[in-house]
Amino acid sequence: MTGVATATAVQEWRPAGEAVIEAESLTMRYGATVTALDQLTVRVKPGVTGLIGANGAGKSTLIKILLGLLEPTAGHAAVLGHDCATGGFEIRTQTGYMPEHDCLPPDVSATEFVTHLGRMSGLPATSARERAADSLRHVGLYEERYRQIGTYSTGMKQRVKLAQALVGDPRLLLLDEPTNGLDPAGRNQMLELVARIGSEFGISIVVASHLLGEIEQICDHLVAIEAGRLLRADTISSVTQASSVLLVEVDEGLAELRAELARRGLAPVEYQRGLLIELAEPQAYDTIRDAVADLGLPLTRMEQRRHRIEELFRADPTLTEMTGATSVQ
Amino acid sequence: MSSDAAGVPPAVLAGRTGVIHDIGYRQYGGQRLGRPQIVRALALDSLRTAFGLGRGVKAKIFPALLFALMCLPAVVSIAAMALNPGNGQLISYDTYQSTLRPLVLLVFVALQAPNLVSGDLRSHTLPLYFARPISRSDYPIAKLIGFTMACLALIEVPLLILWVGTISQVHGARAVWHQTTEFGPGLLYGAAWAVLLASVGLVLASATGKRVFAICAVAIPLFVTWVLATVLSHVALHTFQPVGSGAEPPALASLAGLINPFTVLNGLTDWLGSAPKITIFRNFGNGDGPGQLHQAHLVGHFGPLYGVMFAVMLVAAIGGLLARYRKVGIA
Repeated sequence: MTGVATATAVQEWRPAGEAVIEAESLTMRYGATVTALDQLTVRVKPGVTGLIGANGAGKSTLIKILLGLLEPTAGHAAVLGHDCATGGFEIRTQTGYMPEHDCLPPDVSATEFVTHLGRMSGLPATSARERAADSLRHVGLYEERYRQIGTYSTGMKQRVKLAQALVGDPRLLLLDEPTNGLDPAGRNQMLELVARIGSEFGISIVVASHLLGEIEQICDHLVAIEAGRLLRADTISSVTQASSVLLVEVDEGLAELRAELARRGLAPVEYQRGLLIELAEPQAYDTIRDAVADLGLPLTRMEQRRHRIEELFRADPTLTEMTGATSVQ
Repeated sequence: MSSDAAGVPPAVLAGRTGVIHDIGYRQYGGQRLGRPQIVRALALDSLRTAFGLGRGVKAKIFPALLFALMCLPAVVSIAAMALNPGNGQLISYDTYQSTLRPLVLLVFVALQAPNLVSGDLRSHTLPLYFARPISRSDYPIAKLIGFTMACLALIEVPLLILWVGTISQVHGARAVWHQTTEFGPGLLYGAAWAVLLASVGLVLASATGKRVFAICAVAIPLFVTWVLATVLSHVALHTFQPVGSGAEPPALASLAGLINPFTVLNGLTDWLGSAPKITIFRNFGNGDGPGQLHQAHLVGHFGPLYGVMFAVMLVAAIGGLLARYRKVGIA
């Protein structure tokens, strides 16, 4: 990272350097009662990083502090080697931000809007026009970019939001729930796009999301926070190994299957209309298959469970906790 | 790199918008402008927005009409001078046309100030600005500069037309000099109008993101206080029974104007400007004499109060505008 060497003067605290984001004992309280961030210490390396947490976990607060828009109650943070408390301008010059919520005016075209925001990023008029056209092309908007944004689908709007974050040629992108409101196809396209920006454009990305499945698809690293505290910061692969749970659904005979599986040494737990089974060893697949076949039950689904936030948020998830957490929803 | 766009198959352009093509990413190695230039760019953009430039035809109709209306007295005055060479000019540089100017500006500020600020509030676009290398207050300051320039154009261009048209018809260097010495202060009063109305208009318009409500938020307070101030001072003047030979209007007539920016601005000109603008009719109350007409300044000896009120309104409006944008959410 080029910006690291030119870190701005910081009194006592000095970011170490090679990380794109560093936070140390970062605490943010709103009033006396609400604690959005609680002693958060984390380092984010270059690459694509997922910032995962349930709604209200403190993801957006963290992003606002990183952009230098909020002053933390305590602690320090640095982005690209600049202290967030003093280097807000430098950070915002080199960082693109895509907010979670709707932020587009309906009555201008995407080209005009992204060009204007390019100028607001400090680009001269001609460069702003060129880069706006480039950015919109990168996100897959062509002829429609001359149409008013009000006529766009949600997917196109999300692309415009990404394009405006990209227009200033950032070294780092902060994307807050980029797949918000998209259908599955749009979701995948957006994720591919983000992954491509990370891998081919050489831009570091932090994707905030509450869906681990998305983070898993595109990120190299993962930072999980809960109630403002760091839960885990690790590579994706090490996290996904952690648990393997199979969901088995049969049209009928659920109780029989449960009894049969228990007899064969597994510990099934009823979950909605199926059974959740923790897979201690690979042979468990065969055991389940044989049990279903022997009972002659109509099997409708057998699925490796995606991690849910709640699972991740427990160091050692047990099935009882899982069902307890999900039935609350 | 521009050839990349042309390289995209037309069929793809026409139908499948979701496909992403590998066209390579290029980094930007060019110049990056600093904060002052970004503010300047935003101010110029706001100025253009105020006149509907770069927007559709509909956005240009009202600003153009108002501009034409504002220029009309200047044109009429010049035409009258041309047709009747003996005539002096019909309107002065300092108050211009004392009813038309507030009316045109009322409509302009009420219609256009919301266009500058309520859109970004309504669409929650502000976080995108604040995530860029400008500070919180740069946004309202740029908007204020842009809208002040717009009001300035609306006020000063007609004055300029009046001045050019008049000096082209007067004879002799002295007459031209006389015109110019009147034109100069006229420009300054115009600037006072522009900066006060722009800041009052923006702070009121930024109260809400809904354009229609924003228009009302600007128009209603400005219009109601204007009417109230005018009616009060008229009533006070007409029920006034002066005693003795005092030439001052009643205190109520002088003070009523303090409640509205237009009347404050008129009062400011009345105080600082040379010519008395109102006529006090004095018939001594017995109904049999023709009475006596007396020229006076409406502000009476409360002139300095108008200067203070101008400053108070300006500081309050700009302070309110900055506070508004310090408070706005960056969710």
